[in-house]
Amino acid sequence: MLDLLLDPSFAASIPRFVTPILLAALGGALCERAGVFNIALEGFLLMGAFAAVLGSYFSGSPYVGALAAMLAGMALGLVFAEFNLRRGGDSIVVSIAINLLAAGLTTFLLRAIFDVTGAFSDAGIVGFGPVRLPLIEDIPFVGQILSGQSALFYVALLCVPLMHVFLARHRLGLRIRAAGENAEALRAGGVEPRRVQLVALLACGALCGLGGAQLSIANVNLFVENMSAGRGWIAVVAVLLTRGRPWPLFFIALLFGAVDSLSFRVQGLGLAQQFTDMMPYLATLIVLVALSWWRARRARGETR
Amino acid sequence: MRVELNGITVRFGPVTAVDDVSLGIEPGEIHALVGENGAGKSTLMNLLFGLVRPAAGTVVLDGVERRWSSPQDAIASGLGMVHQHFMLQDTMTVLENIVLCAEPVGRFGFVDFAAARRRLDAIAAEHGIAVDLTREVGRLSVSQRQTVEILKVLYREAELVILDEPTAVLTPQEKDRLFDTLRNFRAAGKSIVIITHKLDEVMEIADRVSVMRAGRLVRSSLLDETSRQEIARGIVGGELPEARTRKAQAAGDVVLSVRDATIARRGRPVGPVSFDLRAGEIVGIAGVSGNGQSELVRGLTGLDPLLSGGISLCGQSVETLDVAARRAHGMSYIPEDRQRMGLALGASVSENANAGRDDRSAFTTGPFLRHGAMMRFARAIIEDYRIRVAGPSAAASTMSGGNKQKLVVGRELTRNTAVVVAENPTWGVDIGAIDFIHGELMRMRDSGHAILLISTELDEVIALSDRILVMYDGAISGEVSGGEANREDVGALMMSRGKAA
Repeated sequence: MLDLLLDPSFAASIPRFVTPILLAALGGALCERAGVFNIALEGFLLMGAFAAVLGSYFSGSPYVGALAAMLAGMALGLVFAEFNLRRGGDSIVVSIAINLLAAGLTTFLLRAIFDVTGAFSDAGIVGFGPVRLPLIEDIPFVGQILSGQSALFYVALLCVPLMHVFLARHRLGLRIRAAGENAEALRAGGVEPRRVQLVALLACGALCGLGGAQLSIANVNLFVENMSAGRGWIAVVAVLLTRGRPWPLFFIALLFGAVDSLSFRVQGLGLAQQFTDMMPYLATLIVLVALSWWRARRARGETR
Repeated sequence: MRVELNGITVRFGPVTAVDDVSLGIEPGEIHALVGENGAGKSTLMNLLFGLVRPAAGTVVLDGVERRWSSPQDAIASGLGMVHQHFMLQDTMTVLENIVLCAEPVGRFGFVDFAAARRRLDAIAAEHGIAVDLTREVGRLSVSQRQTVEILKVLYREAELVILDEPTAVLTPQEKDRLFDTLRNFRAAGKSIVIITHKLDEVMEIADRVSVMRAGRLVRSSLLDETSRQEIARGIVGGELPEARTRKAQAAGDVVLSVRDATIARRGRPVGPVSFDLRAGEIVGIAGVSGNGQSELVRGLTGLDPLLSGGISLCGQSVETLDVAARRAHGMSYIPEDRQRMGLALGASVSENANAGRDDRSAFTTGPFLRHGAMMRFARAIIEDYRIRVAGPSAAASTMSGGNKQKLVVGRELTRNTAVVVAENPTWGVDIGAIDFIHGELMRMRDSGHAILLISTELDEVIALSDRILVMYDGAISGEVSGGEANREDVGALMMSRGKAA
């Protein structure tokens, strides 16, 4: 087991699992901070994964694929905004509807456009290749993790400090926080909170779209029905656990990604797949329990 | 800035909140807008500020007719408003709160906090206002938060400042400081509108006073041309109820005894608090909101457990009992929040009137409710407490605030318990209902019940209490006898730990 954890090829695989969770969670964090309860990240991811394959297949470029994925995510963000922000629909109902819609729509489009069921793989789908970082790749162990990943991984990494600074110091970041904290006060100040929330939803869609692109045109070069496989839900948990703060979010995403990667690994060792598939969710549960225990203890300490 | 409101009418559905009001506001003038709750004062000012839209009428600023589509327009035209419920972000710093929605931005839309800081330093120096810009607003006192709201208005260079009930949350000393600031604004040529229902303050600070009642403007004149009595008559639309006289009465046995009680709250616990309450007396607990009164009430009524200490009710210790057991043992509770704790708004008046009663046998047959008995009982409360409502089967949500409160008061007082805990019992109700509720509490006292009156309205505490305990920072900072209480003494205790009497 220890050999496995220290195996450089295992470590190098972690970023592939971290990236989609981290991107989706960063998007979810924007919604959380803006006061939009968005648990449709799973649907956003899946739609992004499909659109990435579509864009890449028809253009031959992974960048066009990523762009298509962002647009698809934003389109779902717009749907969310229309039904939740403008028509006042309950955010849980809207989220569930979007998750179901994404699952159904991708299956339908798979058949309508590519005339296949279950999965679509084709040499025409051009994926993101590994990006080699000159000096860094020579560092032992760390170099093998940080170098040679897809461009989307580096984008995700860059997004963490960027979002931190954005929320702390940017005009829109300030307003997003205000919309989530006390929307009425924002309105009294002359800024319509729903407009701010719409921007957060669109940005969330774009980030989730990129996360989906990582799944379908960076980790592999194909689309499989329901290939997001719960990663959007894990991102939701990460957002709620960290209340949408970028840095803690990064570490939680790192943990969940590592466990996700580990579950694939131990499958190779002959463990039953039914068990290994449970690992990311078990890890989520453990973190949930540990965090609530820790918070309860701290709350008790405060009253003493 | 000179403002004219011409023939303003505002409707919310079938209700006319403001009815054909015309009003002028002059520069360099403090204009008091007075009236009962629901008279339309706040609605009129919300309209001026662009938060609601008129069904008819025009707003003219310096001779130009204006029409806002949002508060942003009003702010851009030089209007500023300090709302009754502060419009602040608790998790943000003072600086972030002040610049929010008026951010000075540099490259890529990032906020130039340094520039904002420089301007605020200049403003603070000019008006003699001091506040730490880096502190989180959630950690500030109520009076400091109000200062933040005023700085927000100044930062936006407002020429007309509207303050909605600005003194409701302040101690007398803090009020004096606020009034100094407002006089400073007046000297700088700004127009100030202050919404209030306290006549003393009107007489102290206003240059002009406008009185509203039931959505209409009753009168508007210079303070020098009117009198206190005239204004008061305008507010209530008739003569004022006469001042209450207290029947001299010796207090009886101790019915509620609190010993070294401490109750949990965020940060430091409240307490230890000790006091006795005797039959036939009203003990008032005064203090600025947030000094531990609500925690104390929750500990007394059993909503929250005590961390330590004891409570004895009619000679039996009850600190381990739950809410229902304490009620059954002789305690009634009029909660501060009638909307959420006092009533179930979706349920009927009759259901609400019967909630939490111990004489179950009168209203139930086996597991079933006896509707007839419930309705008869509700009708009796409606009549005795002069509640204006369609009938006992109407939903509780259909009543006005004052009538909702009378229903809660009626339900609790008809239980005839030895102890009544009344928490801000007249908060947000009109003068008529206040007078009625005060009369009922006094009647209970005279008939030998013990009443603990927790109120942030100092006048209410002074008017009703036999003894006054003052709470500050989670502890009782002093005790004053009801007969000899004056505002300044109590006010001083409201701001310092004092020495326990």
